[in-house]
Amino acid sequence: MIKAINSMLSGVALAAVAATSVSAECTNDTWNKVMERGKVVIGVKADYKPWGYRDSDGNLVGMEIDMANDVAAKMGVDVELVPVQSSNRMQFLEQGKIDMMIATMSDRADRREIVGIPGPNYYTSGTNVMAPKALGFSKWEDLTGKKVCGKQGAFYNQIVEERYGVEIVAFTGNAEAKQALRDKKCVAWVYDDSSIGSDLSSGNWDDFEMPLSSEDDNPWGLAVPLAEKSCVFGQFMSGLQYNWHREGTLIALEAKWGIKPTAYLAKENARYSDWLAE
Amino acid sequence: MKRIAGLNAPARSDMAVLKPFDVAAHSPDGYIFTRWVAALPWWTPFAVFMTMAIWPSIAYAQSNYSTAQAFDALWRWTPFLLKSGFFFNVLISVLAMTIGTVLGAALGLAQISLLRPVRAGSWFVTQLFRNSPWLVLLFIVLLAFPFEIRLFGGVIRIPDWIKGVIGLSLPVMANISEVVRGAVQSVPTAQWEAAESLAFSRRQILWQIILPQCYKRMLPPWMNWYAILTMATPLCSLLGIEELITLSRQAMESEDNHPELLVPFFGFALVLFFAYCYPIARLTMRLERKFAVKS
Repeated sequence: MIKAINSMLSGVALAAVAATSVSAECTNDTWNKVMERGKVVIGVKADYKPWGYRDSDGNLVGMEIDMANDVAAKMGVDVELVPVQSSNRMQFLEQGKIDMMIATMSDRADRREIVGIPGPNYYTSGTNVMAPKALGFSKWEDLTGKKVCGKQGAFYNQIVEERYGVEIVAFTGNAEAKQALRDKKCVAWVYDDSSIGSDLSSGNWDDFEMPLSSEDDNPWGLAVPLAEKSCVFGQFMSGLQYNWHREGTLIALEAKWGIKPTAYLAKENARYSDWLAE
Repeated sequence: MKRIAGLNAPARSDMAVLKPFDVAAHSPDGYIFTRWVAALPWWTPFAVFMTMAIWPSIAYAQSNYSTAQAFDALWRWTPFLLKSGFFFNVLISVLAMTIGTVLGAALGLAQISLLRPVRAGSWFVTQLFRNSPWLVLLFIVLLAFPFEIRLFGGVIRIPDWIKGVIGLSLPVMANISEVVRGAVQSVPTAQWEAAESLAFSRRQILWQIILPQCYKRMLPPWMNWYAILTMATPLCSLLGIEELITLSRQAMESEDNHPELLVPFFGFALVLFFAYCYPIARLTMRLERKFAVKS
């Protein structure tokens, strides 16, 4: 036990040293480990359709799983997918339990201090609410002082709470939160605008609407260990994401998984487009 | 047969007789939960499930997604939920019970040691784990244990569910420790004295005379703890360990999180746990009655 604690402490110390001297030297530990064992362990979501979820045989599928498979294919190694949750994904990466993650993570300043998020970002989404049409909300201020359902671990819960004084009632699962909205335990359900959009278009939420303008349009980032952000692993992922944008891979995947086309991907695709292509 | 008034014949008088208050008869025993489960008729889970199947069609007439579709989804997911979900609940409970029993038996015997430090130490460990919330113990184990161990140059990976086993075996260990201590102490001291007078050593008395009498007494509480442990395994879902509840949530996500899915999926989990624990509870109560010390 003491040994384990010691090794954990020295691990923390090492990580601290590595963090302060990121650019100074690259040990490429994780990259080398992946190459040595011929397998990359990637953390993905299992509860975020259509980004990462399970089919009824239990296999992980989704847009981010396709991306993870592409990462492994480009590295020339096998892939092992590990389901992660919003609450533990960064810890798993820090511990080394996963080598990298593509797990619907919003790219935030505080998260960049913990994990290495190489640019360019691969997606973006904003915050919006789903609310009954009957309530006729038109601006965020209309929600002040009211109860709003949310998902545990979403970074915008706190932002919305502080900015508009709403009272967030957080649930572990989306189904529970949406049931609470129907049961009128809250006046609205705050979540990603892309997810709400697909719910509304499913025809099961006819009495509901997405009445507000999306806020906090926040890019998503995949992550590698912090120490390797500016080393081989981080640089490789930057290059791969650049090409995903340039070659329209992400736009194709978006269409494949039935995600509403976002202006962000179209814009990035145009921005990085090959100047010699016809 | 001789007729005794008030026993096998009607009392001769209806005068109230104030008997001493029997505290033990009025305080809940360790079986309170098992007794309650065992008292339920066997068709309870099916009745619950049927009610749940009918009730939503009245309650949620607000969507195109029907209850039939929700049950259809449940049907599609059932093999996966059983194979990768409930199987792990059973596996975690069996392994945690095994580890908890072995360690708990040792700890329980240490509690009746003649050496004072051993007795005090094992008492402290028992009380510590017996009175800590199970979820807290699970969190500590999950966060404090490494995810892989390096041994002789090889790397052994410890999957999360193994940590769940370790975390759950700690409170089981402490409670089994109390069961063992209680069972040993329930054997009349006269037996110790009689055995001692026949020149048995302490170890011989314990292994050859006292413990053989204890197994029967320990069996019902041991099974009682197993049922409680099994029903505590969904706690693991809070830590992201993959078991029935975790995977039910993921399945509902894949089916677009329709609120209509909540009742069929969690109802299914309820029926599974009931079907597994109910026979154990019935058997426990039967053994309890059979082995009860006649007073």
